Amino acid sequence: MSYLSLVWVELKKTRHSKIFLILLIPVIMMWVPSIINADMNFDLRGIPITPEKNFFIQGFMGMVWFMIPASLVICTVLLNQTERSNKGILKMLSLPINTAKLCLAKFTVLLVLTAAQMIMSIVAYYVCAALVTHTQNYFFILEPLYVCKNVCSIYASAIPMAAVYWMISILIQSPIFSVGIGLASIVPSVLMINTKIWFAYPMSYPFYLLMVAYGRAAEGVYETQIVWLPWLPVAIGITILALAVSCIRYGASERR
Amino acid sequence: MSLVIESKKLKRTGYLAAFLAGGFLAAAFPVVYMMVKADEVTMLSGNPIDILMSANWQIMAMLNILVSICGACMMYYAEYADNGIQKMSVLPIRQGNMFLGKFTIAALVLSAMVVIETAVLVGCGEYWFSNYRFDLAEVLKIAGFQIFVTLPTVMLMLVIASACRNMWVSLGIGVILVFTLSILPQDNAVLSLFPFASPYQMLPAAIESGRTVLFLVVCGIETALFGVAEVIYLKVQRCFE
Amino acid sequence: MNIIETQNLTKIYGNFTAVSKLNLHIRKGSVYGFLGPNGAGKSTTMKMFLGLTNPTAGNFHIDGKTYPANRVSILKEIGSFIESPAFYGNLTGEENLDIIRKILGLHKSCVDEALQLVGLTEFRKRLAKKYSLGMKQRLGLAGALIGKPPILILDEPTNGLDPVGIHEIRTLIRSLPQRYDCTVLVSSHLLSEVELMADDIGILNHGRLLFEGTLDDLKKSAQAAGFPTDNLEDTFLAMIDEDNHKRGSAI
Repeated sequence: MSYLSLVWVELKKTRHSKIFLILLIPVIMMWVPSIINADMNFDLRGIPITPEKNFFIQGFMGMVWFMIPASLVICTVLLNQTERSNKGILKMLSLPINTAKLCLAKFTVLLVLTAAQMIMSIVAYYVCAALVTHTQNYFFILEPLYVCKNVCSIYASAIPMAAVYWMISILIQSPIFSVGIGLASIVPSVLMINTKIWFAYPMSYPFYLLMVAYGRAAEGVYETQIVWLPWLPVAIGITILALAVSCIRYGASERR
Repeated sequence: MSLVIESKKLKRTGYLAAFLAGGFLAAAFPVVYMMVKADEVTMLSGNPIDILMSANWQIMAMLNILVSICGACMMYYAEYADNGIQKMSVLPIRQGNMFLGKFTIAALVLSAMVVIETAVLVGCGEYWFSNYRFDLAEVLKIAGFQIFVTLPTVMLMLVIASACRNMWVSLGIGVILVFTLSILPQDNAVLSLFPFASPYQMLPAAIESGRTVLFLVVCGIETALFGVAEVIYLKVQRCFE
Repeated sequence: MNIIETQNLTKIYGNFTAVSKLNLHIRKGSVYGFLGPNGAGKSTTMKMFLGLTNPTAGNFHIDGKTYPANRVSILKEIGSFIESPAFYGNLTGEENLDIIRKILGLHKSCVDEALQLVGLTEFRKRLAKKYSLGMKQRLGLAGALIGKPPILILDEPTNGLDPVGIHEIRTLIRSLPQRYDCTVLVSSHLLSEVELMADDIGILNHGRLLFEGTLDDLKKSAQAAGFPTDNLEDTFLAMIDEDNHKRGSAI
């Protein structure tokens, strides 16, 4: 069985799970306060930023800090629970498929679901920006290249975090504990971002990138250059390590 | 009696451990904060507990909410995973009592968590602030208030968890609610009374704005209201199954 | 005297009629075999008796009481076992039974007794989620038998058991009315099995009651209708088959 068709099979398993709804609602919710408080974008409190960029960055702030990690955590529960609840995993393990491949296919589904959420958030942004443009008589819509570039980089930076959450959900059998650890790990990322070792904490990567985008849009708020070293090698290392552990341990408790 | 039974069902689920871990993690924030910023913070004038809370309570309250969400999901996961709830529904007990038992347990462990947190806040006050005077009545008032304003959240989350067979749905709804109400402006008087938003309110700030009674009354009503809603839901659910 | 009686009991899900105008009469102190192919409406009927689902029309009385007014007092009298076993996986078999015992307000010794009755005593300290299918089934049965309730409702209790287990449980059910003076409603899709346990039989197909009476009555009425009677399983199959034919031509 090819890897792609395996991914397709895994995606099919998420049918009727309402997961898209759960991914969509926060994307809509995060823009509601931005629309209601649209006039606040003109009150810049001395920060040298244009209202349209302020609108974009403030809107995505909650997303990168809380919603992306939380969605990832929920998706990992979904993926694991669909297997475990009716012993589907036993069937899968008794089929002639490489377990590592199966594990990676599931991880790919996790990334696909996140990608879907990112696309939804871009669409939601444009709808809201158009709406605010209309109500405030000010052109809030940013050029697609800028928006897509930022969202894509945020997405890419979420991959190490996704790998870590995936590993946690496989290592910790009790779904609620893996969720608890996942959710609890989100909270300190606000603090981690301001320390020197932020690069060791994958949950803060998307936040960091958005802060850099903020720094570029408004001088003096934050750094304007991404510090690639030692971030990049550390991030890649964490991702590979987490995925390797996941693949080795996947289905281990069922095969005991 | 339902309290004993409900607590028995939580055996080996790690329920208590989760709350204790959450409590200690939340309590770690003011400690770390003081270790890093002690010099600046001790210079500030005002009640040390107020200073510590305004700096840390947002994060601590959020952890309390998250742990409560996990706790609610955990309770009902134990019911739904092997269909234990079906056996319960053919035994001569009222489903409403079962729910109340669960709520009481959830409220108790939340209280334990908040007590740990306030104790650590007091400890920080004693250790770092030379002008801190320990006042048991004040500390108890703070802990009581913070517990009380979190109760609507605990109740609502249990209602959600009881309604969803699939844990990721209740978890998803809980997380969405945390997210939504944490990005809404905190200074809005009406919004701050909502469950998932009220736990962020602090007693010192509430006293200052003269809203203490308002918070207590509204949170009490909300808690009772969600409880009644659950009882009605249980009755209605029977007709549709 | 009938301990359970139904009058035109009907349950409709959307446009699917699960149970249609059922009139059952279950005598006190008897074993009543509830027979029918999969999806005939046996479980639905039992669920209505337990208040797990509301009837669309008609009504029923259990020991002179009815739902929803007497829910708790009816459930106090019924020990039940419905579909797949329902339990708490994080608890041991013993702890599972202890919860039920507490709710029913029984003496502590009842747990051991129930474990003994279904042969789970040696596995009582094992977590229920680690039980084999047959052990889960036995745990479910123990949960129904605990405290010797006057009425037992058992939905396919021998599913998933090995031949020895099936024989044990059958003998147990057969002996219950004499031992504890109780009434048993037991469902199955095998006539050969019901034949060995039941005093009275009710045959259900597509939600309708085709026959109700004793085994002898069944033989007589089958003979009169021209069904084969030398093997009861054939009688049953022929009855169901003819009913399906009638339904087919009606539609």
